[in-house]
Amino acid sequence: MELLTPQHRLAFKGKGGDLFAVLIVNWLLTMVTLGLYYPWAKVRRLKYSYEHTELDGHPFHFHGTGREMFIGFIKAVGLLVLLYGAFFGLAMLQEVWASVLGFLVLFGGLLLLLPLIIHGTYRYRMSRSSWRGIHFGYRGDRNELYRICLRDGLLTMVTLGIYGSWFTINLRNYVMSHVRWGSSQFAYKGDGLDFFLMNLKGYFLTLFTLGIYGFWWQKDLFHYYVDHLSWTFSDGRRLQFKGTATGGGFFGLIVTNVLLVIFTFGIGYAWAEVRTMRYILAHIAMVGDADLNNVAQTEQEHKGALAEELGDLMDIGIFL
Amino acid sequence: MSEGVEAVLYDGVSSRPIEARVSVREPNALVVEHGNERFTWPLEHTGLQWERTRDTLRISFGEFPRRVLIVRDPLFIRSFVLRMRYTGRQGVYDRLLGVARSGPVLFFLGVAVLLVASYVWLLPWAAEGVAMLMPRSVDQQLGAAAWGTMAPTLDEDTARSRTLQRFGDALQLSPDHPLTFHVVRDDQVNAFALPGGHIVVFTGILERMDRPEELAALLAHEGTHVQERHSTRMLMRQLASYVFLSLIIGDASAIAAVVAEHADNVRNLSYSRGLETDADRHGMERMHARGVDPEGMVGLLKLLQEEAVDLPAAMEFLSSHPLTEDRIAEAEDQAQRLGPVAAARPPLNTLFTALKQERP
Repeated sequence: MELLTPQHRLAFKGKGGDLFAVLIVNWLLTMVTLGLYYPWAKVRRLKYSYEHTELDGHPFHFHGTGREMFIGFIKAVGLLVLLYGAFFGLAMLQEVWASVLGFLVLFGGLLLLLPLIIHGTYRYRMSRSSWRGIHFGYRGDRNELYRICLRDGLLTMVTLGIYGSWFTINLRNYVMSHVRWGSSQFAYKGDGLDFFLMNLKGYFLTLFTLGIYGFWWQKDLFHYYVDHLSWTFSDGRRLQFKGTATGGGFFGLIVTNVLLVIFTFGIGYAWAEVRTMRYILAHIAMVGDADLNNVAQTEQEHKGALAEELGDLMDIGIFL
Repeated sequence: MSEGVEAVLYDGVSSRPIEARVSVREPNALVVEHGNERFTWPLEHTGLQWERTRDTLRISFGEFPRRVLIVRDPLFIRSFVLRMRYTGRQGVYDRLLGVARSGPVLFFLGVAVLLVASYVWLLPWAAEGVAMLMPRSVDQQLGAAAWGTMAPTLDEDTARSRTLQRFGDALQLSPDHPLTFHVVRDDQVNAFALPGGHIVVFTGILERMDRPEELAALLAHEGTHVQERHSTRMLMRQLASYVFLSLIIGDASAIAAVVAEHADNVRNLSYSRGLETDADRHGMERMHARGVDPEGMVGLLKLLQEEAVDLPAAMEFLSSHPLTEDRIAEAEDQAQRLGPVAAARPPLNTLFTALKQERP
């Protein structure tokens, strides 16, 4: 049974008080600058998460800078202002064709932006992340992503949302399988049907148990996301990701977090966040025999943060 | 040979961690040794960057891919940070974060007071400033767009609208915006104004009026909303506080967001109550200036009070039209203060009778 013992462990070393200090300073500076500090605040926050996340005792690092995020932020704001401006400008004309055109411009524009945002965000975020001095990278093809989004988006619409499960998994399969860490490569192999059935079961059982099963559904989702991920090295050896969370664990985590946040009027948010990170990361293991010491630097730098900020402004959870 | 403290070096070429020793040597350089190799990083070099967390110091050096050094020795971190701070390479942020870490509760309270103060005073002031800077044509466009969507749903009595227009024009209520009056067949005892000049009066309220002064008061009240750009100011305030709250709360808990939203609503309500009294006051001044007895406002308010469904006292606090004794008393006070009307009253009686008689 030697192979089944976890070989590599993630851990979160952050402290609620320290994260709280980071958040407070962020709030203060964002307020004083009437929001202009936001991109820097975001970087501080991301850096805090990355630097306190460790794999085998080695911390991750986020290389992004407030400056490049700010440039992305400004561009993203400009783009959205343009889209909404066109929409409202056309609506002002008070003609039917203009309203329809405005609608098409706005929603068509937003929809077409979606794959671009996913692509750009991954490219930026991965290239600006490193571990042991080796950068991550995303080598997906933008056109291929468009193809997937268009095909699955249409199918999802036609099937009134049912195909959404397949859409999610196809997207995840594609995106995650093009993430690299230097010369090593990640792969995600999920199945839309499994995912659909799991969610169907989760939905109905949660309904029948008045929400109690929700925590076990959460566990299933977590396992689905983790267990289908693997990590292959250039010598062909492979690490398999394994989730070790339990429904009971999620139950304890979520219930205490909610109480923590409510009874502190939201101040406990930082502590709840840290507890969540600790729980999640402590329950991801990588099983297998691989040499993490032998990975070479392969990826180039990518500094454009437009997509990242656009996704943020549009409130899209990019990390699949 | 083995001077300095333990550190882990990543060379940026491979992922292998290298055990190294690091020390600071005069003048101002970082010396890194591992195996038989030894190299020196000048501390003043622009290619040298450092970041620290509570118990880790990360120093990186050179062009991409950078070499990275992780040091966990607390004494080394302290002296390194002190030295870098001394040479002036520590920013405002680190100082602020240092303060926040040493007294989080006090710091938090300070920030909270600042936040609340800017939300309560600074933000509305700035928003109103922006609203007043906006050209009046913005009001007109907003109003035209609102009227465009609203008009088809209203049953307008165009003949009476024309009469009301003459009535309103005789009062000369709004020097900056041409006012357009509409009479709409509806039993509600109400009237409203859109930004930029559309004023809608329901037949419900017209039919309950006894004197032209009451109608003049109503139009003067609504005209004040238009003239003083109340809607645009309100819109800017709401927009500003929405942006402010979403920036401050950002990704904080949903509970905080809900609490903030309700606090915001209550604040907006009290602001709109302020606007109503404002419209009463300015409206009466305008009436007085045009030779119309401002007592008409008192009559109008009493009429509205009779029609209002009795609200429990607690609800009145949340109502945007506080038809309380307060508003009436204030109007009575002001009528006293304004004194007898000096100017000649425009001929309103015939128009008023015409408005009352033109039954559909």
